[in-house]
Parts: sequence; structure tokens; C-alpha cells
Amino acid sequence: MLSTNRREALQFLIAAGGMAGLPAIAGAAGEDPVFAAYQRNAEQDPWTLIVRDAPADGFSGDAQLIHGQMPSGLSGTLYRNGPGRFSRQGWRYRHWFDGDGFIQSWQLANGRVSHRGQFTQTDKWVEEEAAGRFLRPGFGSLPPGASGLNGPDDMNVANTSVMLVGDELLALWEGGSAWSLDPETLESRGPRRWGQGLDGVPFSAHPKVEPQTGIVWNFGQDAFNDRLVIWKIGPDGQLLDAGLIPDIPGGMVHDFVITERSLVFLVGSYRYQGRADTFNGSFGFEAGTPMLAVALDKNDWSQRRTWELDPGFLFHFGGAWESADGEIRLDAALSDDARMVSQGAQMIMRGEPEGEFGSHTQHRLVTLGAGGRARSEVLGPDYIEFPQVDPRFVGRRRRQTWHIAWSEADERGATRIERRDLETGTQDGFDHGEHVFVEEPLFLPSERGAEGEGWVIHTALNARDRRTELHVFDALRLSDGPLASWQLPYACPFGFHGCWRQA
Amino acid sequence: MFKFISTLLVSAHMMGAAYAQEMPVELSLTVDGIAPSEGSLMIAVFDSADAWNGGAPVAGIRASVDGEQVTATLGTLPAGRYGIKMYHDVNANGEMDTNLMGIPSEPFAFSNNARGRFGPASWDDAAFELTAQSANQSIRFD
Repeated sequence: MLSTNRREALQFLIAAGGMAGLPAIAGAAGEDPVFAAYQRNAEQDPWTLIVRDAPADGFSGDAQLIHGQMPSGLSGTLYRNGPGRFSRQGWRYRHWFDGDGFIQSWQLANGRVSHRGQFTQTDKWVEEEAAGRFLRPGFGSLPPGASGLNGPDDMNVANTSVMLVGDELLALWEGGSAWSLDPETLESRGPRRWGQGLDGVPFSAHPKVEPQTGIVWNFGQDAFNDRLVIWKIGPDGQLLDAGLIPDIPGGMVHDFVITERSLVFLVGSYRYQGRADTFNGSFGFEAGTPMLAVALDKNDWSQRRTWELDPGFLFHFGGAWESADGEIRLDAALSDDARMVSQGAQMIMRGEPEGEFGSHTQHRLVTLGAGGRARSEVLGPDYIEFPQVDPRFVGRRRRQTWHIAWSEADERGATRIERRDLETGTQDGFDHGEHVFVEEPLFLPSERGAEGEGWVIHTALNARDRRTELHVFDALRLSDGPLASWQLPYACPFGFHGCWRQA
Repeated sequence: MFKFISTLLVSAHMMGAAYAQEMPVELSLTVDGIAPSEGSLMIAVFDSADAWNGGAPVAGIRASVDGEQVTATLGTLPAGRYGIKMYHDVNANGEMDTNLMGIPSEPFAFSNNARGRFGPASWDDAAFELTAQSANQSIRFD
């Protein structure tokens, strides 16, 4: 499956049309309106700290215990990744997802919590830091005078997620290579090379690890050509297989789920429309286009089953499982539209709450029937994101999902961490209150094997104190409040996703 | 007399224009930033947007790489509009190696140092007017 395809190489060189006459971008002269709007809003609204530029030389500090005590047995490092640099020379990115990748580590050891933050030294970061201005196009922005690209890694910001494979830390993006980091020092080692013909091939930000084998599954997307790449990697980081999957429509696919037999994708209705001045600008929401579910056989990627669902969009799944007769059940944060990526993420860059253009994702349970019929059930009225599962139950039948939650009135985003039991429908949760904006919760299993036995750990911005916090809960008793909370002497930009390394 | 001279001048001027249009020009190319110092450059010249977007080149050569810079003569061509596509065949297998997605994994470049964004550079960005004054083109790998 690893052979290269000369015809596609030729297509790449041939397919030149449509790139001429790109519109000139205002802002090269005079004040950049997005930069000015953010400056203005940041003076009044500390919530805007979630998208403030991190210092180029990063952060380093100790977090102070402000509540409770370190749970016994909890020792390790929380890694988080997200965009940390949004403006240079008075010009600000238009889209939240454009920002340069900023890795943070929270080391929990001997009752203390120490924190570090560091920009991943991508080629883009290194060259732009030296030049003092943005040189490359972003996911949703075209800085003044932005260059062309020789390949996707030229604009790789490595800003989306982070994972551990063997003794290697990988900063993940989704348009190109994973970026290899030293887990101790966070020092960048360069793009991860998997083998011949795989340099720069998209490696998405939500790999899934089979709990029984440690095998890592991931995908990459080539939305412009209706294709996916499938990656299969051993627990030691050795590539086991990779291959192209044709005829997967170019809806923006960010996450997937695995079962014991299948790799499952939902292709939403935010579809590729034709090349535009930015990557994100090349997509549009097609309100009449059904969401497509595709299940590939793990053992034979040419074997697929498909289903249609109502039009919609998603970033993130909880998990999935498959019954003996082939029925797949999965839970996800699904919305009826894609306005968060098409509009809301631009408002955040201006320092404006997303309001009606924010993410309206609800927790839904989707059943992909063995007979080809699909149905989707809304599990609760509130909005949720970053659904998480017990990693020991990835791909297996399970009950528990942890997530952040908010409602229509919370226009600056989530302040709640919640758990939903998919079987009983019961919920458990904790609201930090109006000043504390929560980030992705991670479930950390304890040594006991029952689903849900362990902790939930998450970071948050305390906007009143203008500081970033870390909170740990008993995963099955969220409403008891945090077991322990720490606060840094500074505020960090929001991250997107994280991973945990047990000491 | 005055009329005769001016007619002569005009004619000469017109002849000059025609001469410039039709007189073939030897196109040469200097390439900088070549690394590693092995293999060869595969260089193709196109004379129209259609040819650029999938048609045949009007000239093509292979130039051995023996250092960071290579200068090559691409042929003698009528004055006009041209574009150059080039890749560095580092492993000298005669093909442009690509990754699984079809994106080149060997260095490539275009005339005017033009670059595409999600594909190759466009004809409009890469095309140049070949005249006696622009017969020496240069491209730099970066």
C-alpha cells in the first residue's frame, strides 16, 4: 500500500488552474481592523486572554495549590497543545485555528505542580520568528504578502493535539506531518518521518489506541481530492501500514472512532467547494447534503459500509462500539451547522464572544444499523464539546462520557464539566461559575479496571484572577467539586487537546 | 527628403519590431540553492497556459548537478511568453518522487520563483516574456 503514484504527482503539477488572481488582502497598509478590534476588546474583557499571544520564549512557573490536596496515586504529566501566537507586526490572524502551536506541560509530582509552555519549532515558526512577520498562509487567514507553498508542511503549525508514542511526544496538526518533541524538554526534533513516501502526508489530531494491543490508528484527509489516508502504527512507534482510501467526500473531517472491527468516519455537510484564497475558505456548509457515515473494515480497507444522516457537522466523537451483527453505536458532539468554524472562530480572534455563531453542538447517540439504516438521538438540551471516554474502553461497549457543557446564555463558552451515563441517561457535573472557562477534560484511569474509576483533570482560565488553573476531580463524583485545584501566576492561551503520561 | 527619411526610420523601426519578434533567442537558466550536490535537474519549458496545465513542453533538458549552482542552456526559442517547471531528481531515477498523496518529495521550482498555494504555481505567476534582454532567467530553490 506504500507505493507512490506517479499519475497523482503529475496531477499535482498539472492542476494549476484556479490559483491565479487571488484577491489582495487589506491591511498591508494602515491599521489591521482585526488586530485593533482584539486590542480594544482585550482592554475590557479578560475572557479574551484565551486568544492572547503567548510570549515567544514561553512560560515556566509553579502552580499554587488553592484548594484540596493532590490525590494519592496521581503522578505524571499533562501535555496540552493549542494555538499560542496570533499576531505579528500589528496584523492578527482571522481564524482561531491559524495560531502557531504552543505546547504546555503540567508536571504533577510529589504534591507539586510545575508548568511549562513552549512554541513548537516548526519551519513556519522558525522562519516567521526570524522575519518578525507572518510569511505563510494559515488555515483561515492570508497574511499580507504571504508566500506560496511547496507542500502542506510549509504552513504546518502543529497546534491541535499531542500524543505519546513510545518515548516520543508528537504535536499533531491535521494538514501535514506530526511534529516530534522531546517529552522531557519539549524541544522540537522536526517533522515525524514514518517511512518512504510518507513525508508530509496528513496525520490527523485524534489518533485512537486499541486498549488490547496498543496499536494506534489514525487518518489524514485530502479533502480537495475526496480521499483519506489510513495510518496503522505499532505501540513502539513503528509504522505497520498506511494507504489511500478513495471516494470519501471532501467534508472537513477532524476526528474518527474505532470499534473492534471498524474505522468509522462521519463526513459532515461542511464540504469542499473549490479552491479559494484560504484552506477554510474553500469549504461551505451544504444544508441539503446529508452527513455520510463510512465504516471501513480494519482488516481490509477496501471493504466499506455507508449510511446517510441528516445534514450536520462535528469536530469530536466520544467513542464507538459494534455488536456481533455489525450494528455500530457512537456518541459525538454534533451540530446542525458549521458556523463555529465558518464564523465563530473568526469572532474569537476579534475578541468578541461568538454568541449565535458559536458552536451549538449537542451530545448525540448515533446508531448505524446493520441493515443500512441510521438514526441519531439528542441526549440533552445543552451544548457540549470535547467528549472523552475511559481509554480502557476505546472501541468497546461502554457507558460513560465526560465533556464540557454550556447553554445558550453562556456566550463566552463553557464553565461546566459533566459526565453522562449513556445507559441510564443520568448526569453528574460541576459548574465553576461565571469567571472560570473550562478546557478539554481528560479521563485518567486509576489502577482498578472498572469503567470510570479514575480522575478527570482539566485546565481552565479564571478570567477574574486572569490566571490559568488546573482542577482534578473524582471522575464518578464530579458534583462533589474538585479534589484539588492549582493556579498559575499567569494566564495561558486556551489549548485544544491534551494527553497524559503516568509517572 | 524629410518624408523619405521619416519613412525609412519608421520602416526601420517596424523592421526592428518584426525582427525582435521573430529572431530566436537562446534561453539560459541559472539555478541556485541546489542541495544535495547530486543527481540532476529536470527542466521543462512551456509556451502557453494550455501547455503549462498539462500539455507538452517546447523544450526540456536534464542538467547534471555538480554544485550549489547550475547554469544550463534550454534551447533557442522564438521571442514570446514562456514558463519553466523544474525538479531536482536527487536520486537520479528519472522521475519526480512523490509522497503517498502525490505531493513531490524532491525539490521543485518554477520560473519567476512562483509558488502555488495548494498546488503548482499558475501560468500567470510563472510566465515571463522572453526577449534578448530576458534571455538569462534565474530560479532559486528554497
